[in-house]
Amino acid sequence: MDFSQASAWIQEFLNSVGAAVFVPVIMIIMGLVVRMKPKDAISSGILLGVAFSGMSMLINYMSGLIQPVGEAMLNRIGIDLPIMDGGWTTMAAIAWSWPFAILVFPLMIGINIIMLMANKTETFNADLWNVWGKIFTAIGVVGITGSVPLAFIIAAIQIVFELKTADLFKDEINELTGIPGVTCTHKMVFLSAIFYPIDKVLRKIPALNHKADAAALKEKVGIFAENHVLGFIIGCLFGILGGYDIPAILTLGVQAAMCLTLFPVISKYFMEALSPISEAVSDYMHAKFSNRQLVVGLDWPFLGGSNEIWLTVIYAIPITVLFSFILPGNQILPFAGIVNIAVAVPAYLVTRGNLPRMLILATIGVPIFLYVGTAFAPFVSDLARQTGAVDLAANALISCSCIDGPVFTFAFAEFLDILNGNFLPLVVLVIWIAGFFYTYRDLKKQAKLAKSPADVE
Amino acid sequence: MTVKVVVACGSGVATSQTVASKVNRMLKADKIDAEVEAVDLKSVDRHLKDAAAYITIIRDKKEYDLPVIDGIAFLTGAGQQQQYAKLIEAIKNYKAV
Repeated sequence: MDFSQASAWIQEFLNSVGAAVFVPVIMIIMGLVVRMKPKDAISSGILLGVAFSGMSMLINYMSGLIQPVGEAMLNRIGIDLPIMDGGWTTMAAIAWSWPFAILVFPLMIGINIIMLMANKTETFNADLWNVWGKIFTAIGVVGITGSVPLAFIIAAIQIVFELKTADLFKDEINELTGIPGVTCTHKMVFLSAIFYPIDKVLRKIPALNHKADAAALKEKVGIFAENHVLGFIIGCLFGILGGYDIPAILTLGVQAAMCLTLFPVISKYFMEALSPISEAVSDYMHAKFSNRQLVVGLDWPFLGGSNEIWLTVIYAIPITVLFSFILPGNQILPFAGIVNIAVAVPAYLVTRGNLPRMLILATIGVPIFLYVGTAFAPFVSDLARQTGAVDLAANALISCSCIDGPVFTFAFAEFLDILNGNFLPLVVLVIWIAGFFYTYRDLKKQAKLAKSPADVE
Repeated sequence: MTVKVVVACGSGVATSQTVASKVNRMLKADKIDAEVEAVDLKSVDRHLKDAAAYITIIRDKKEYDLPVIDGIAFLTGAGQQQQYAKLIEAIKNYKAV
């Protein structure tokens, strides 16, 4: 069987069974390859199917709430936001349903090994969950070009940038968290290439440099970020704007609270199913580089001890809703992606936890997230429908209001659209790369300056 | 009765579940009757009430009235055995009370 035959067969199989069966099958095969016990591999595989089916059920339920209230808001006050916001958990589910998704694992590990051996990085990326971030960019490339090899090339470039970014921020992360030997390899850090130059300007304003008591503030407002409370508030708000009566408003509030509460619960099963493979890889890498001190790249939550991050996230919630209503060209109605960590973490890193500047950066950042979410809706929805990853009505559009590293993702996924005469993503790509190199050079320069007095002593 | 252990991360989905799955497998292999539950940092306080230990992946200045285990160890592998031993100790003590 040659490649085209194989891919035709895969396509046919995929169309007939959908992601909830197809991905678990691949997963079980992968599990057996990395020497899992058949019993455990099958258990993981079924759990992955559970995750897909659960996600599909939840999104179907969410559509049943959001679409009617969206229409009601349109009819009553003219807010026309037809794209549903499934949040990052939905994006992850759709990404994992891509037939070639699993191949990004070996790509990432391979590049990491090569770069470690060539001394081009000090980071070992142990965060195998966020392989989906590479997959997500890759499916964007497929959406534009239809080419799978090109998608893998762009994914490879992203992997290299992630390792370089993780190297760049490792000292600062160590300083900020007090945890030695770790850094953050998450794609969300990419937004620092945009935030850093802006922050350089903000640093010149003395009024922004005072220290706020973030801990006390967080105690007060932290409850609004709890999923069920937040979901209830947003549901009620939509109900009011849609002109519902009071019982309907409260019902929608509780139903929306249920959605936001269950999204992470169901997503957890993806992680649980994938964890044996991720552990096997991690053990292999540790054994391979046991003679070397590696900086371990992790997902962002170890930074979550910072109250400033949570305050910025909470602040971004009403800002996102407000902007979504008033920004011309935005079509996404913020919902499941409203807890936007991806705007707060890069702001935290570039400002080193200065709350006033973080809030300004978040205000600048939120529109970017909304526009990128809007731009990605067509191909995300198409892929969801093709793979059956989520249950989506014929004309429904789904996307996410918190796509990590939005500028990078948009630019690298879509710049090849220049072949169709669309220059915008390429311009954005140039801006991001310029921002990245500026940030890179400036941070390196400062690290040098910080080190040199110590050398004199 | 199965003892509850809590591990938290930003969303209760990825990092915390990675640690939870790993520690659960270790506990199962050692035939220790305890279950690690992955929760969301924003609502962790509610979950700690009936837990034997808290595996944390953040460093904060908050004081907890239950044993705190360093979860980063389970992600990087460095110091994992010590933290695991500490966890087993906490589970045994909890059962004894």
